[in-house]
Amino acid sequence: MTGSPVPFPPSERQPAGDSPVKADIRDVHFYYGKFHALKGISLPLYDRRVTAFIGPSGCGKSTLLRVLNRIYELYPGHVATGEVIVDGQNILAPGLDLNLVRAKIGMVFQKPTPFPMSIYDNVAFGIRLYEKLPRAELDDRIEAALRRAALWDEVKDKLRQSGLGLSGGQQQRLCIARAIAVQPEILLLDEPASALDPISTQRIEELIAELKSDYCIAIVTHNMQQAARSSDYTAFMYLGELVEFDLTERIFTYPREKRTEDYVTGRFG
Amino acid sequence: MSVYGRRRLMNYAVIGLAFAATAFGLLWLVLVLGTLVYEGAGAMSPALFTEMTPPPGSKGGLLNAIFGSLAMTAIATAIGTPTGILAGTFLAEYARGSRFGEVVRFINDILLSAPSIIVGLFVYEAMVVQMGHFSGWAGAMALAIIMIPVVVRTSEDMLRLVPDALREAAAALGAPKWKVVVTISYRAALQGMLTGVLLAVARISGETAPLLFTSLSNLFWSADLNAPIANLPVVIFNFAMSPYAEWNALAWGGALLITVAILLLNIGARLLTARSTFKT
Amino acid sequence: MAIQNAVSTDIRTSRQRGGAVGDALFHGLTLLFALLVLLILGGVIASLVEGAWPALAKFGFSFIVTDVWNPVRQQFGAAAAIYGTLVTSAIAMLIAIPVAFGVALFITELSPAWLKRPLAVMIELLAAIPSIIYGIWGLFVLAPFVQAHVEPALIATLGRIPFVGMLFAGPPLGIGVLTAGFILAVMVLPFISAIMRDVFETVPPVLRESAYGLGATTTEVVWRVVLPYTRVGVVGGILLGLGRALGETMAVTFVIGNAHHIHASILQPGTTISAALANEFTEAVGDIYVSSLVAAGLILFAITFIVLVLAKLLLIRLERRGGRAA
Repeated sequence: MTGSPVPFPPSERQPAGDSPVKADIRDVHFYYGKFHALKGISLPLYDRRVTAFIGPSGCGKSTLLRVLNRIYELYPGHVATGEVIVDGQNILAPGLDLNLVRAKIGMVFQKPTPFPMSIYDNVAFGIRLYEKLPRAELDDRIEAALRRAALWDEVKDKLRQSGLGLSGGQQQRLCIARAIAVQPEILLLDEPASALDPISTQRIEELIAELKSDYCIAIVTHNMQQAARSSDYTAFMYLGELVEFDLTERIFTYPREKRTEDYVTGRFG
Repeated sequence: MSVYGRRRLMNYAVIGLAFAATAFGLLWLVLVLGTLVYEGAGAMSPALFTEMTPPPGSKGGLLNAIFGSLAMTAIATAIGTPTGILAGTFLAEYARGSRFGEVVRFINDILLSAPSIIVGLFVYEAMVVQMGHFSGWAGAMALAIIMIPVVVRTSEDMLRLVPDALREAAAALGAPKWKVVVTISYRAALQGMLTGVLLAVARISGETAPLLFTSLSNLFWSADLNAPIANLPVVIFNFAMSPYAEWNALAWGGALLITVAILLLNIGARLLTARSTFKT
Repeated sequence: MAIQNAVSTDIRTSRQRGGAVGDALFHGLTLLFALLVLLILGGVIASLVEGAWPALAKFGFSFIVTDVWNPVRQQFGAAAAIYGTLVTSAIAMLIAIPVAFGVALFITELSPAWLKRPLAVMIELLAAIPSIIYGIWGLFVLAPFVQAHVEPALIATLGRIPFVGMLFAGPPLGIGVLTAGFILAVMVLPFISAIMRDVFETVPPVLRESAYGLGATTTEVVWRVVLPYTRVGVVGGILLGLGRALGETMAVTFVIGNAHHIHASILQPGTTISAALANEFTEAVGDIYVSSLVAAGLILFAITFIVLVLAKLLLIRLERRGGRAA
């Protein structure tokens, strides 16, 4: 059975300064039907830190993200084993209300997906699912989310207009606002800027740096410079295995594994 | 002749035939519509909308037929639309790859292409015989059965066009599946589904055969759906086959009415789709 | 923390619990209506079989091959109706397919750009016109015309040729199999043409351009590039049109003549299953009479069902051979 040597066994994990482990991923395997897509992934996600996942196409980084909020369960034949411990409980356990799990763990996708409704309703969507707020309070929550996503100034006059009328970069920030409006504890970002122009990309990266102070963030990116710039920890994956996990500066300056070094220096991928 | 020469000749021949075919096709259709407008216009008068169908040999109108058609179409739409949309939702949202879904889709296709007179026969056996008499309800039921497969098909097709990414985004926020379907899928596919419904209504507006043994027709004013009720298609059928000139004229008038209504519905459906493409 | 701890399964607000109940209800609701569709078809088949049983039991296989139709002696055979259904549809397809193809070809390849959209819209609107319109037009306009001009001409020319002449024998009546077939053709034409046009338009422009770029003529581009690419849709459209023609009632009822006889000549009156039902059902007296009509309806249903199944099988085979999901 192929499993990667755990680069960061649980016993050696030291909380970095004042940040505890928010999500502890333990020996997660994933199967698309017969295809073994994730092979024994184990690593910690630290609270209020950004963890980047890098690796060539098909290495399983997006798959791992989708395990974390169990969005894969929308499709039959997709199976995950192992444990992901969040706040003391395993969120992969059967018998849990999936919707609640997903409300706690937010996700932003690669392609902006504004809902076909007004900007206001977009951001309110997640809130309305679980909370019955008076109008004034809802307005405040929406404004707070849009401000946090650096979108408020651009849309405050047109909250009633359709979300589809925004530019690509704005739509993605809308999706981020929508995700943080429900005050999740973990934020999963699947290549959030890859479909955007460079200026929007920069704004998103600045946003992530700000959001870090409140959330545990996991970001998948194929852009290594982005990973190097934005993250505190980096995990390098290859063909479904976790090859190396460490502080970002170490991964990019003196990685331990040869494969990691080859990838970050551009020899393949 | 050279190879190229032969090819050129063949090309001209085919092009010529294509022109001829188009002219031929359009000719007959122009003739049909032209006659319809000419004869139908001759029967147009306010009396058409205010008076009932007359006895043979006298003048009159089509009020009772218009009412009956509107009533039965409305009932059929009220039954057929939710049924079709919900069944289509099942196929698009719950049964995508499943065997059962394939079976339902196949059966829906059979119903879709079943001759409408057979549907009339079925409703005759199931309702008219059971109730002991013809009725407007039976007519409406027959129209509903014709409408349902059309709406199922269009609803499923439109819902499938909604990208999965939208559904995932809603699910990722913690929305239960039914909410994803109702607030996201339906909203995204709304225009398309509405168009499908409009086209289905247009389709049943002109159907005659299924009404022949269900609602029959009625020469008098009646708002009682529990008895034979007048309706445009069957009135046209009866009046056209008769030897009375006034009845024939009314048949043309009714035919023009139906055609205009159907064309308006089709154009309305078109405008609906045109608007949605502008919005995105 | 605004939202409850997701993993504590005992603390739930009513809204959260409502999610699971809502899901089950909604799933059940949609499933119910999907089952309803199955039920409707089941009902149709069951009632047809039940209604047809007395006649089929009494006449057996001869029901399909006898054209005796005698309400007085309660002896019935649907052969004339079946024959009429098949022949009128055959005539309709013979005329409609090439013309529809020509129209679709014209719209997609030959017409000037400004004409394309109006023509296409016109064809689609024409496909929406209900069949009763074609029926009364056939009765009042076409039949007299055919009787006065077309049929005499046919009798005088093709009617003289041995063998072929048999198809055109008899006095010119105006109503009959030929007229009915022609009306069907005119009715089915826009339907098939609209489908063909839609399907032709799906060919990627680059494919056409490559062919033209190699110096192919329009005919060759259509014959060798467009048609092979779209053959699945074209065949599907044709079979759909055929299904429509077979089941059509109102377009033929007025002009078919309602005679339960099989003639070699297409100038003679005949009947189709749907026309027989339309004309006779409400006045049929006697259980066997009614049952025979229903039996004819069952046969019609079976015919259209077979056409549909053939269409689907053919589509699957064509897709496999072409190696392409259409």
